[in-house]
Amino acid sequence: MSEWEPKIVAFLCNWCSYGAADLAGVGRMLYPSNIRVIRIPCTGRMSPKFFLAALRQGADGVWVSG
Amino acid sequence: MLTLSEVTGISGEEGNFQVQVTQHPRYVDMEKCIACGLCAEKCPKKVTDEYDAGLKKRKAAYVKYAQAVPLKYALDPENCIYLKKGKCKACEKYCPTGAIWFDEPEKKLTLNVGSVIIASGCQVYDPSTHDVYGYGRSPNVVTSLEFERMLSSSGPFGGHLVRPSDHQEPKKIAWLQCIGSRDVHIGARGYCSSVCCTYAIKEAMLAKDHSKTPLDTAIFYMDIRTHGKDFERFYNRGRDQSGIRFVKSRITHVVPKDGNGNLLIRYVDPAGKRVEEEFDIVVLSVGLGVSPEAAQLARRLGIETDHYGFAKTPGFEPVKASVPGIYVCGGFEAPMDIPSSVVESSAAAGAAGSRLAAARWSLTKTKKIPEEIDIRGEPPRIGVFVCRCGTNIASVVDVPQVVEYAKTLPYVAHAEENMFSCSQDTQEMMAKIIKEKRLNRVVVSACTPKTHEPLFQETLINAGINKYLFDMANIRNQCSWVHGQTPEEATEKAKDLTRMAVAKVALHQPLAEPELSIDQRALVIGGGMAGISAARALSAQGYESYIIEESDRLGGRAVMLHETWDGGDVQGFLKQIIREVEADEKIHVRLNARIKKVDGFVGNFKTTIEQEGMEETLEHGVTLIASGAAEYKPDFYFYGKDPRVVTGLELDEKLIQKDASLKDVRTALFIQCVGSRIPERPYCSKVCCTHSIKNALTLKALHPEMDVIVLYRDMRSYGLREDLYREAREKGILFIKYDEETGLDIDRKGEALEVLFTDTSLRRKMSVRPDLMVLATAMVPPKDNPLAQMFKVTLNDDGFFMEAHVKLRPVDCSTDGVFICGLAHAPKPLDESITQAQAAATRAVTLLAKKNIRMAGSIAEVHPMDCSACGVCVSICPYSAPAFALEGPHAGKATINPVLCKGCGLCVASCRSGAIHLKGFDNDQIFAQIFALREAV
Amino acid sequence: MTHIGIEPGRLQFSWISSAEATKFVDVVKDVTDAIRALGPNTHFVKTLPKVA
Repeated sequence: MSEWEPKIVAFLCNWCSYGAADLAGVGRMLYPSNIRVIRIPCTGRMSPKFFLAALRQGADGVWVSG
Repeated sequence: MLTLSEVTGISGEEGNFQVQVTQHPRYVDMEKCIACGLCAEKCPKKVTDEYDAGLKKRKAAYVKYAQAVPLKYALDPENCIYLKKGKCKACEKYCPTGAIWFDEPEKKLTLNVGSVIIASGCQVYDPSTHDVYGYGRSPNVVTSLEFERMLSSSGPFGGHLVRPSDHQEPKKIAWLQCIGSRDVHIGARGYCSSVCCTYAIKEAMLAKDHSKTPLDTAIFYMDIRTHGKDFERFYNRGRDQSGIRFVKSRITHVVPKDGNGNLLIRYVDPAGKRVEEEFDIVVLSVGLGVSPEAAQLARRLGIETDHYGFAKTPGFEPVKASVPGIYVCGGFEAPMDIPSSVVESSAAAGAAGSRLAAARWSLTKTKKIPEEIDIRGEPPRIGVFVCRCGTNIASVVDVPQVVEYAKTLPYVAHAEENMFSCSQDTQEMMAKIIKEKRLNRVVVSACTPKTHEPLFQETLINAGINKYLFDMANIRNQCSWVHGQTPEEATEKAKDLTRMAVAKVALHQPLAEPELSIDQRALVIGGGMAGISAARALSAQGYESYIIEESDRLGGRAVMLHETWDGGDVQGFLKQIIREVEADEKIHVRLNARIKKVDGFVGNFKTTIEQEGMEETLEHGVTLIASGAAEYKPDFYFYGKDPRVVTGLELDEKLIQKDASLKDVRTALFIQCVGSRIPERPYCSKVCCTHSIKNALTLKALHPEMDVIVLYRDMRSYGLREDLYREAREKGILFIKYDEETGLDIDRKGEALEVLFTDTSLRRKMSVRPDLMVLATAMVPPKDNPLAQMFKVTLNDDGFFMEAHVKLRPVDCSTDGVFICGLAHAPKPLDESITQAQAAATRAVTLLAKKNIRMAGSIAEVHPMDCSACGVCVSICPYSAPAFALEGPHAGKATINPVLCKGCGLCVASCRSGAIHLKGFDNDQIFAQIFALREAV
Repeated sequence: MTHIGIEPGRLQFSWISSAEATKFVDVVKDVTDAIRALGPNTHFVKTLPKVA
């Protein structure tokens, strides 16, 4: 599987990292397209259930960012 | 909004003006234009792009810049081939909507208004006016505004830092300060433009960030003027962390080197050696000024301007023009930065509105909101709208493929693509489709919900469905813009994101927004100039306020001030407005009062104050903090030990009292930055330079033989205050920049005070024996500030209150309903405190005038049957929203106050019983997104 | 976490302010590289046959 690419679920805080991600777009900064973003109102919303579910559903990694 | 319009005349008077407006043709029908950009693509005429500072070409059919509002194209009549020569019409031929309108007529309108605000802005100085820098001849000599475009990722070089002549990456860049500013030679202006020092530092920092190889940056300056809030920290960061070189030297000319496009700068270094240095790019930090068009407008409106063309305003009413009913703000009032302009604009809006307060709501029409269709119980029918965003998304993501894919997803009843989903006509069309196809959920795959969610939610409301039945997939900012090199993967990602949004929105339910009534009174904390000004502004708008003052009198620090920098009599003005406040039935003053306790929140605060042992609870809807700052009292330099050593304000007191001993002073010495701009207080106190200049001039006038010396680090007489600095030098006041490294040595030799220092320009040790030593001491906030805790607002590292956003919300606190003005926010002179107080009052009125506000619906809710009353949510919530119900069927269980809840979800994640649900971000909705991913893996 | 069968490294945390676009991009790259290095996630995936 030389072309294997990981799938990563990113839980991003609406006020922090999600804003940074938008800004990275405004700046046209290039980065790998492996992440799939789920917007959460705050990292406080994050529950272990979510990352367990993501891994069970076959994600290769979970990234939580506040 | 009237674009391409010009005010040609005005008649009438305050309260009833007739304004004549000429609207020039756009040659494009705004109703029809969908901003697809085809006209520009097909237009054969290339024109130098003034937005990109002449570094790029645009077409004669164009939109000024990508974010232009309204986003509609225009034809440039100066360059359009058809309008000039009668041939071409390429744009007309290709326009898909028939929007090109060659014979659009010029329109004449007459507007009937009560007040007028002039916000005509400023124009940067053109350095070819008096050309000694080779601007226009050497391509690598650019203005700061051009450099700004060169750094921009949407600019002429795509954000890649190269020099204009040969597109090579530069190794060395120089900034030359005060180009066209602080200069009385031909074509230049005598004032300081206020903003250039800070922007040059910013540009140098950004240039270093953009450069792949180490970049040498040097800023050549006369004085570094980073007097704005937190700007000094920025300067320190630029110098100490980014490694920007600061060279104190005014450069008078730039020599182009033959052959390589480099530029030579000659200067004298701090050691006195002559240096010749080569740079790849020279940036001219051009100043701000009034444009000829604005000057003409001022003449048409009959308002007075000063010798530089700026609108004249009375010092104590900083946004009022000379004609009653006309107000000014921003760069037309004085050169200023964005935060100051935004503050002034709020102040001007408030002042203009206060004279019209009686007519409020008299001409408004209430918008009809269609009745909401109850969709509960219906199976989801989802509409997916995929936006091309012109080419922003479509050039990377295969939009038709995403649309086709969306059609296959469960519950999707409609999917289509839009050129711009956010355009007015698409919005209308979207509402129509929602109604026709009876859609009950909507997904827009476009830009970011952070900017566009409210717009689309509005469309849902107009289509008669609840605005929470909506979600966005961010396929621009977080997809097409960042995966430009991998279009296939970007298309896959866009599909995944759309599928996740569809899965989530299917579970969305209509949510209600709690409504909250707003108590119509305001609490103003602090009875200084800012507090008084805010209360007066509120009263003028028809609102009652309480002023809470800790001391036994109104006036704050202003009672110690002699004159403003432009000669305003502070004591006279203060007496007058205190009389007015005392006579004002809408202003209730509480002296000797302290705040004991604060309960409640925006709309319904309950503040308990103690006044001479008596407690009183005041109810109010908004809070304005104007609690001020104090003058720093040092414990060195013989202050308090020698009567000849006084602070700036103490000298004012002597001047107010006409102290006879001042006449006998032979040598007066002012020492700047006492307690400011030092490691433990790394901010500039902003007022002290001008204050010392003003007092130095007053002393000199009192006794022309007196030697008056000012020892400084950087003289910061910003803006129009520079005139005062020049006058002081002309009158023989000595300004000496002392060496900060070696510092000052102050001693008593017998009876005499002796000050030893190193003069940086003479590079020699000097001594002065003053018989009056004035310490320009820092402005300091209170050590412990209980207000911050009480109102849940934050203080910055220096102890001043922090605004919600420096530029966008400069007088709002992050806590709803709390506003900030005056010295409590940052050091500033009297006129700026007044402006900011008026701005804070205006912002408060925007809340008060609504009478009711709606809170967001995406908040947490407890299912009491599941609640085990463990209390985790009560203790964990940062906003104190959950509490145990005291009565009712669910007494003892947790309940969440919808007004206080910010919807963060902390309680939801921590609830061990799973009893708390976050509407809009509930477990099942997030799980739906996670499960939707499965298909992707 | 290893106790319940998750390899360390599958779960990544970071803190980025809304102004730190550059940091965001750097972290995305780091996270992607770290997880790419771990290889496909096999420990925990609910495979359809098992469920059936």
